[in-house]
Amino acid sequence: MQSLINILGTLAASVLFALVAALVGGFLAGLDRKVSARMQGRVGPPLLQPFYDVIKLFSKEGVRVNGVMDAYIMVALVFTAIAGGIFFTGGNLLLCVFVLTLGELFFILAAWSARSPFSDVGAQRETLQVMAYEPMVLLMAVGFYLATGSFDVSCVLHLPAPIAGPLVGILIGFLFVLTIKLRKSPFDLSYSHHAHQDLVKGITTEMSGPTLAYVEIMHWLENVLFLGWVALFFVWASPLAILVVIVVLAAVYFLEIWIDNNFARVKWQAMLWSAWLVTLVVAGVNLAVLIYL
Amino acid sequence: MALVSKSPWVIHYDGSSCNGCDIEVLAALTPGYDAERFGVVNTGNPKHADIFLVTGGVNEQNKKVVKEIYDQMLEPKVVVACGVCACTGGIFKDCYNVLGGIDQVIPVDVYAPGCAIRPESIIDAVVEGIGVLEEKARAMKAEKKKR
Amino acid sequence: MELMGFLILFPVFVAALLMVVRQEFARKILVCASAGVIAVTSVVFVALNVGTLGQYYEFESEVVNYLCFGIDCLVGVTVLCYAAKYRNIISALLAIVMLALCVVFEFFVLPGTTCARGLYFDSLSLIMILIIGIIGSGIIVYALGYMKDHYNHNPSQPDRSHSFFALMFVFLGAMYAIVFCNNLVWLLTAWEVTTLCSFLLIGFTKTQESIVNSFRQIIMNMIGGIAFQVALFYLVFNFQLLDFAQFIVYGAYAPALFVFPLTCLTLAGMTKAAQMPFHTWLLGAMVAPTPTSALLHSSTMVKAGVFLLLKCAPIYAVSFAPSLLIILIGGVTFLLTSLMAISQTNAKRVLAYSTIGNLGLICACAGVGTTEAMWAAVFLIVFHAVAKSLLFLCVGTAEHHISSRDIEDMDLLFERMPKLARLMLLGIMIMFIAPFGMLLAKWATLVSFVDTRQFILLLLLAYGSAGTFMYYAKWMGKLTGIAAEPTNVELEVHHTEWFALFGMAAIAVGCCVVMPLISNVFVEPYIISVAGLSIQPISDDNLWLCSLATVAVVGVLLFGLNRKSDKRQVGIYLSGASVDNERRVFNNSKDQPLQATGRNMYMEEYFGETRLKNIGYVCTYLLIVAAFAWAILSMLGIAPLS
Repeated sequence: MQSLINILGTLAASVLFALVAALVGGFLAGLDRKVSARMQGRVGPPLLQPFYDVIKLFSKEGVRVNGVMDAYIMVALVFTAIAGGIFFTGGNLLLCVFVLTLGELFFILAAWSARSPFSDVGAQRETLQVMAYEPMVLLMAVGFYLATGSFDVSCVLHLPAPIAGPLVGILIGFLFVLTIKLRKSPFDLSYSHHAHQDLVKGITTEMSGPTLAYVEIMHWLENVLFLGWVALFFVWASPLAILVVIVVLAAVYFLEIWIDNNFARVKWQAMLWSAWLVTLVVAGVNLAVLIYL
Repeated sequence: MALVSKSPWVIHYDGSSCNGCDIEVLAALTPGYDAERFGVVNTGNPKHADIFLVTGGVNEQNKKVVKEIYDQMLEPKVVVACGVCACTGGIFKDCYNVLGGIDQVIPVDVYAPGCAIRPESIIDAVVEGIGVLEEKARAMKAEKKKR
Repeated sequence: MELMGFLILFPVFVAALLMVVRQEFARKILVCASAGVIAVTSVVFVALNVGTLGQYYEFESEVVNYLCFGIDCLVGVTVLCYAAKYRNIISALLAIVMLALCVVFEFFVLPGTTCARGLYFDSLSLIMILIIGIIGSGIIVYALGYMKDHYNHNPSQPDRSHSFFALMFVFLGAMYAIVFCNNLVWLLTAWEVTTLCSFLLIGFTKTQESIVNSFRQIIMNMIGGIAFQVALFYLVFNFQLLDFAQFIVYGAYAPALFVFPLTCLTLAGMTKAAQMPFHTWLLGAMVAPTPTSALLHSSTMVKAGVFLLLKCAPIYAVSFAPSLLIILIGGVTFLLTSLMAISQTNAKRVLAYSTIGNLGLICACAGVGTTEAMWAAVFLIVFHAVAKSLLFLCVGTAEHHISSRDIEDMDLLFERMPKLARLMLLGIMIMFIAPFGMLLAKWATLVSFVDTRQFILLLLLAYGSAGTFMYYAKWMGKLTGIAAEPTNVELEVHHTEWFALFGMAAIAVGCCVVMPLISNVFVEPYIISVAGLSIQPISDDNLWLCSLATVAVVGVLLFGLNRKSDKRQVGIYLSGASVDNERRVFNNSKDQPLQATGRNMYMEEYFGETRLKNIGYVCTYLLIVAAFAWAILSMLGIAPLS
C-alpha cells in the first residue's frame, strides 16, 4: 500500500514536472538563442521565441509518415517526464538515469521507424551519442553513491558540504558529456538548431507539426533535468545552497552556450573516443581516489 | 492566436535561376541581417517550414521537385516567388526548356519581382507572406471548428 | 523426493521412447504430452515447496554410484569413438585422460568415502526447475515446427528428428540432475552428460562446419570436466568430502584450505559458462539448429556453469585468488563481448555475444559473493533465460521465413512479420533497457559492485553497458522501419511455433511485472538459506514502479502501434527528388533513379573481433595461469593463505 502511494506520488510529481519544466525549459531555450545571438553580434529573437515556435507547431496540420511514430514520441515524452518526476521527488538517481534512457530509446526508434535516409543517419548518430555518454552518466551515479552513501537524490539535502569537492573529477567529466546530452556543437551530430549541420535536420527530419512540438518540449524537459543533475553536485544542508546552485547553473549554461558557439562539429570518432577517454581518466581517477584513499 | 506570424520558418529552393536571386535570398538569411529577430529560421526541411521561397523559373527537370517540396509542407503554408524568373519565367521565359514562373506548378501567394531581387523586396515579400500565412491559419482554424 | 526422481528420470525415459517411435504424428503427440508433463510436474513441485530454505534427503545408493561410473565411462568412450571417426587427436587425448581419471577415482580414491545426503533442493533449485521445466520444454515444443521446416529447407539431410528430440529430453534430465544432486560425483556425471548432449546437438547436422564446432565445444568442456574431476580428487583425498553443501559451508569457514579445488571448479564453471578464453565454443554452437542454441543459451548448459559458480558464491566472498579470477574474467568478458557484438551483423552471433557477456556478469556477481550480488546474479539468470529463449525462437522463425539470420536482412520486419517483429522488439527490450527485468538485475549488479568497492568491475560494467545499448538499439532500429506494404510472410508459421513464442513472451513479461514477488518468494529465501539474511539491493517501491512502466511499454508495443490515423500521409523527405518514395528511390545527379540504402554502423575497424579477441585472450590466460600458480602455491603452503 505504501508502495502504491509512493508510486502515485512520483507520477503526480511527473505531471507537475512536465508543466513546470516545460515553462522553465522553454525560457532557457529562449535565453540560449538570445545569448548565442549576442555572441554573434546580433539582436536575436525575443526571449519567448521558443514558445511561439512550439505553439505554432501545434497549430499546424498533422501529417504522418507512418502510423507509429506519434506513439513512440509520446512514450518518449512521458518517460522523460517520469524521469524528472523521480529526480525531483528525491527518488533513486540510477532509476532516473535508466528511465531517461528508455525515453531516449523511443525517440531513436521514432526516427528509425520513418526509414528516411536522413533520419536513419540521425538515429545512428544519436545511438552513438548515447554510447558515448552512457559510461560517464553511470559513473556519475556511482560517484554520487560513494560520496553520499545513497542513490537517493533526496540525501543531498542533509549533506554537511556539497559533493562537488570530492567529486570534482566526475563533475568535470559530466560537464564534458553534458555537451553531448544537450546536443551542442561540437557534439551535435544527430541534430542541431543551427544551419551548419551536414545533415538536414537529422533525427527530427520526419517529425513535423505537433509531433515536432512534442519533441521540442521533450528536449526542454531533458535540459531542465540535466541542469538538475548538475545542481546535485552543489546542494547541501544550507539555505545558502540555493544561491550557489543558481550561480553555478547560470555559469554552466553560459559555458555550454559559449562552447556551442566556438567549436565546429567533430566526426563521430572524435566524439566517442574523447568522451570515453575523458570518462576513463577523470572519472576513473576520481573513483579510484574515493575507493582506495 | 495566430502565432504563426511570430515564427515563420522558411525553406529556400533554387529552380532554374541564374543564382543572382539565390545569393540575395541567402544573404538576407545570414546572421548579418539577423532575420531571427523576427523568428525566421532557415530550416532546409519542407516538413518544418511555413514559407517556401523559390528563386528561378521551372523546367521539366525541377517541376516535380518543386511540387514535391510543396506537397511535403504542412498547412498552413505560403509560397513566395522571389525574382522575376520565379514570377513569370523572366528573361528565360521563351527558352525551349523553361515552362515559366513557378505558378505553373504550384499556387503562389506572393510575387516579388526584381532582377536580381532587392533585399528590401525580399523582406517586403516575406512580411506580405506572413500576412497570408496568418489568414490561412485563421481559415484553417475556422474550418476545424466547423467540423 | 519421488517427484525429484521423476523429473530426472522421466525425460530420459521419454528420450528412450522417442528413439523407438519414429512415426511423425506419434512423435508430435509424445513430445507435446511429455513436455506438458514435465512443465506441470515442475510447477507442482515448486508450488509444493515455495519459500523453502533448503531440504536435504538422506539418499545413498550403490546402484546409482555404479550407474554414474558407467555413464561417465560411456561419455568418455562416445567422445573417443567420435574423435577416432573424425581424426581429432586433442579430444581423443582428453577423453583418455578423463577415462583414466574416472577409473582411478572409482577404484583407488573413492572407496571408503560416502555422501549421506545425496539429493537436495533449495530455492535456487526451484528457480532452476522452473527455468528448465517451462522454458526448456517450451523450446522442445517449438522445435517440432522448426525441425519440420529445417528438413524442408535442407532436403539433402536424412531425417534424424527422433534422435534430435531424444537428445533434448536427455539434456533436460541431466539438468534436473545437476540442480538436485548434492553428491558431487553424481553432479559430475550429470555435468558430463550435458557436455556430451550439447556436443551431439551442435554436430547434429554433420556438416563440416558443425563437426569442427562440436569438437571445439567438446575440447573446451572436457578441460572443464577434467578440472572438476581434479577438484573431486583433492576433496576426497584430503577431506573425504563429497557433500556439495558441506563443501560450501567448510569453504566459507576455512577458505584457505579450499583454494585449489575452488580454482578448479571455477575453471570448470567458466568453460561451461563460455567465459573468455573459452567463449568460442558458444559462438561455434550457432551452426546448430536454432532450438539447440535456444536450449544451450537459456535454460541448460551455460546455466549449469553459472549455477555451479553461484552455489560457490559464499566461498568466493571470503577467498581471495579464485574470487579475483572469476570477477576479472567475468568483467573482462562482459566488456569485450559487449563491444565485439557491435561489429556483428549475424543476429544469432549478436545474441551469442550478449549471452556470453551476461554470463560474465553473473560470474562476476558470484565472485563478489555478497547477498546483494547473489540477488543480482539470480535475477540475471532468470531474465536472461526468459528473454534469450524468446529471442532465439524469434530469430529462428524469422530465419525460416526471410531465409537469413542477418540483421541487415531484417529490414522492414515490422511489416513483413508484424507479430514476430513485435515479439522480437519485446525480447530485445527485456534484455537491455529499463524498466525490464534484465536491466533491473544489472542495476542490482551495479549496487553490489559499488557496495564492495569493485573499482575495475565498475569501469568494465559502465563501458560494457554502453556497448550493449549500441548493439541492441541499432538492431531494434532495423526492425522498426516502416515503408511500402511488403508482403506479410508470417502467415505460414506453425501453430506450435506461435504457441511457444507467445508463451515465452507472456512468461518474460510476467516475470518482469512480478519481479518483487519473485524476489520475496524465491530469491530471498535462497539467500537467507545461504547467508542468513538478505538485503534487497533495489527497494520494492522502485521495483513496483518498474513493473507499472513495464505494463505501459508492453501495452504500447503490442497494442499501441496499429496504424490507423486520419492524418494526411506524406512521403519521407528525399530532397524533393523522389521517384518511388516508399522504396526510397530518388533521382540522382545523373537523372537516374537510385535507391537509398542504409546499413547500420558496425565499426569493424574499432570493435572487430580479431582485435578485441586477442586482448581478451592475453588478459584471461594470464589470469588463469596466475590463479592456478597461486592455488598450487597455497596448496604447498607457500603463498599467503587468504
